[in-house]
Amino acid sequence: MRYALYLGCTIQSEQYGYEASVRETLPKLGVELVDMKGASCCGFPALNSVSKLGWHYLSARNLAIAEDMGLPLLPLCNGCHLSFVETKHFLKEDPELKNIINMNLEKEGLHYEGSTRVVHLLEVLHDEIGAQGIGEKVVKPIGGVKLAAHPGCHAIRPSDLQRVDDAEDPQKLNSLIKALGAETFDYPEKIDCCGSQLAVASGRTTLKIAGDKLKAVRSYGFDGLVTTCPFCFKMYDGRQRAIRGALKDDTLEVPVFYYTQLLGLAMGSSPDRLGLQMNMSPVDGLVERMTE
Amino acid sequence: MKPVMVIGGGVAGIQAALDLADRGLEVHLVEKTPSIGGVMAQLDKTLPTMDCSICILAPKMIECFRHPNITIHTQSQVKEVSGGTGNFDVKVLKEPRSVDESKCTGCGICSQKCPTKVIDGWQEGLTTRKAVYIMFPQAVPLTATIDREHCLYFQKGVCQVCSKVCPAGAIDYEQRPEELNLNVSSIVVATGFQEYDPTELKEYGYGRFKDVLTAMEFERLVCASGPTGGHLNRPSDNKLAHRVAFVQCVGSRTHKKGYPFCSSVCCMYATKEAVLIKEHDPTSEVNVFYMDLKVFGKGFQQFVNRAKSHYGVNYVRGRPGEIRMNPLTNDLTIWYEDTANGDVSSMEADLAVLCTTMIARPENVELAKALGLELDEWDFFKSLNPLTNPVETGMPGVFLCGCSHGPRDIPESVAEASGAAACAAEVARRFM
Repeated sequence: MRYALYLGCTIQSEQYGYEASVRETLPKLGVELVDMKGASCCGFPALNSVSKLGWHYLSARNLAIAEDMGLPLLPLCNGCHLSFVETKHFLKEDPELKNIINMNLEKEGLHYEGSTRVVHLLEVLHDEIGAQGIGEKVVKPIGGVKLAAHPGCHAIRPSDLQRVDDAEDPQKLNSLIKALGAETFDYPEKIDCCGSQLAVASGRTTLKIAGDKLKAVRSYGFDGLVTTCPFCFKMYDGRQRAIRGALKDDTLEVPVFYYTQLLGLAMGSSPDRLGLQMNMSPVDGLVERMTE
Repeated sequence: MKPVMVIGGGVAGIQAALDLADRGLEVHLVEKTPSIGGVMAQLDKTLPTMDCSICILAPKMIECFRHPNITIHTQSQVKEVSGGTGNFDVKVLKEPRSVDESKCTGCGICSQKCPTKVIDGWQEGLTTRKAVYIMFPQAVPLTATIDREHCLYFQKGVCQVCSKVCPAGAIDYEQRPEELNLNVSSIVVATGFQEYDPTELKEYGYGRFKDVLTAMEFERLVCASGPTGGHLNRPSDNKLAHRVAFVQCVGSRTHKKGYPFCSSVCCMYATKEAVLIKEHDPTSEVNVFYMDLKVFGKGFQQFVNRAKSHYGVNYVRGRPGEIRMNPLTNDLTIWYEDTANGDVSSMEADLAVLCTTMIARPENVELAKALGLELDEWDFFKSLNPLTNPVETGMPGVFLCGCSHGPRDIPESVAEASGAAACAAEVARRFM
């Protein structure tokens, strides 16, 4: 299992804990991560709504680099993953756009063919390594902890494209959480949006959407929330204090984790190797419980 | 005159068999399950008169059984057909009942003493039956049958309790599959339908949430002979369901998952089921989510009007997008757009009923090959001409009725059955 590791903007600019925990855990599971030279933005966050060409050019550029490396592309972010999958889909249907993009890529000696396989972290963990394979590597099971799964919208929708899990009933993250020895169950708000896409247009609405989900997670007795998307994580973790303010609820404290951070704990890595000191939600108590 | 064969022992097949027999023709009624009766026997009430379904059907079933001109072949399936109109040679495979039909009195002691519990398909999986069982209290023939796939004797060579307790000595483990070769003048196909399985429509949570039922499951739940004695105890926690939501057009009138055609009966059966809940408990909150109400039959519109005004059933025009379940309370939340005012809202419910469409029976494919009939793209049998020859087929001497050629309600199935029987009788007379 060798992948071109695509980090994307959010992780490199602020979500260091995700990168740290991925680099700490995946190699131990037999995954070789190869860094990409000259990778750029995936084009997704804003460009896709103003410039179709700009978006697909940036996206195809990264795909072309991976093509050149001869490796499948592993983006860690749900948004980047969808961006690459969509670009592959649209360029297949629009050879003219593909030609224009290739004319631009040629300037730096790149060529986009569309042969790169785009893989999601959940697919690597669930479909390739498998819950059983992960279970075998667990040395310190995370017992007695109830964790809510948040797969994130872009991992599962739009269902017409090649997505990671079922749009209405995603279960891969749940089975991966169970593989670590933790308890998880479905809750009604599981596939609700984190709200981050609205952040620019309406900050308050964003906080309300994210806050409602955190409140729901707490009401079902979960000890924490788990995701693999840096955008969602940023909402629930980084903005949790702002959410408390917006909802006027000082008691709303939900520990939020990247799945790979929990995976690392279960495989015996120390919390600081997993970037847990950088989580902004109150994870310390729970980490202590899980590591004792 | 040569006999006529009727394939399928639901209400359509029963009606066709009785019509033919009353004309003095000998009839072979071939039924796949251990009893005739079909889906109508499972229904609680009929519409729009709210008559007890089995009370209307059972006398017809018994008449079939007692009629000197009708031979009922249960647990039997048509395997091969050769010849042509006026002279069909039909090979029928009869599965062993492991109970001697001539000796069994239907007392049910075998079933009481049998140690093996099996999920009861006739009760739509809502309860269990035994490995030796009588399909339902009004079964015809009222004869026990052994489910060999689950019977301890057939699986492990032990037990034999039923044969020890049977006062009539009717248990016969040695029965073998039997091949019947029947020569008939004409054939009436009345194979019926099966209910669409809505598991693939994950947004509705069927299969994940115990309190999301199909309409057939609901029929059993609300029926006095059902698993709860007709009390609306929802499956998850036995709580009495007070708020019930019906979702129309599940698996029908869709171009994504499911089928594009209208199931033609859901608007009415949902109304009937809604009224039943209100009759059980007038304070219940019953909502029917619909796209548009297709209530074109005799007395149908008045029935819906009465459901609204007299019983207080609420109709919401909107197709729900999602059903969710609270893991702490098991309560359901229905998310929908009320297209009457454009509002997106949600509603809590104790129970949700998915009004699933009727689809073709999987056996149609093999049967069509054997009979030389054409199927439509959904595996329903094709009429010769749906306008002018609705019950005739491309194969002279073979006739259709009921849901074998598409979704339809009981009155239409019965009317067609009489039509198909008349056509079949005409063939029998011509070739006598």
